[in-house]
Amino acid sequence: MKEFLMLIRGGQEKYNSVSPEDMQKHMEHWQQWMGGLAKEEKLVGGQPLMNEGNTMTEGGKKVTDRPFAEGKELVGGYLLIKANSLDEATEIAKGCPSFEYDCSVEVREIAPMA
Amino acid sequence: MKQFMFLFKGGDDVWDAKSPEEQNAHMEKWMQWIGQMAEQEKYVGGERLYPAVKNIHPGGTKVTDRSFAEAKELVGGYIIVLAETIDEATEMAKGCPGLQWESSVEVREVWPEDV
Repeated sequence: MKEFLMLIRGGQEKYNSVSPEDMQKHMEHWQQWMGGLAKEEKLVGGQPLMNEGNTMTEGGKKVTDRPFAEGKELVGGYLLIKANSLDEATEIAKGCPSFEYDCSVEVREIAPMA
Repeated sequence: MKQFMFLFKGGDDVWDAKSPEEQNAHMEKWMQWIGQMAEQEKYVGGERLYPAVKNIHPGGTKVTDRSFAEAKELVGGYIIVLAETIDEATEMAKGCPGLQWESSVEVREVWPEDV
């Protein structure tokens, strides 16, 4: 099996506006979904990110105190999963609870480092 | 210490225009940079990505072959590092060899566990 990265983008506005109860329900969906992947031994890892960030450009000389990506492009978290193909990984990613919060999911195959 | 993610973006055109020898030499710089952080026990992990994209749009059904990110901001890889603050992480990121090949680096704090 190969490994794939899911980049979860967008949804920050909705995440910031929901009630604690709705958020808790949503987190339960995440736990269920990730638990299911883990049972099938398809879950490698994953983490949510805080919204703040720094961006370095121009050979590292310029530092901007925010991510360049905004709105729907901002990466809010990632997940590493195992699948046999990019298409299979995409099918798995369609079950991601982040779609409840208007996110998109970019699916990418891991490449060898060198 | 906190965890930070470095997202490496863009620079694909520069990479593609280089010879295999130049690419190998560049990858060696990456390995040195990551190796130094590993020696200091500040490197957690990371991956390089193939350029092919499957992008599932909001709603969860429509799939396209293009990232929402522009070509110059296509994520080509990431690493997770340990640092005390985002400023320290940013200083570490300045050593990234990809910056010399027109990549940008986005530094983001990982959400603390148990939230």
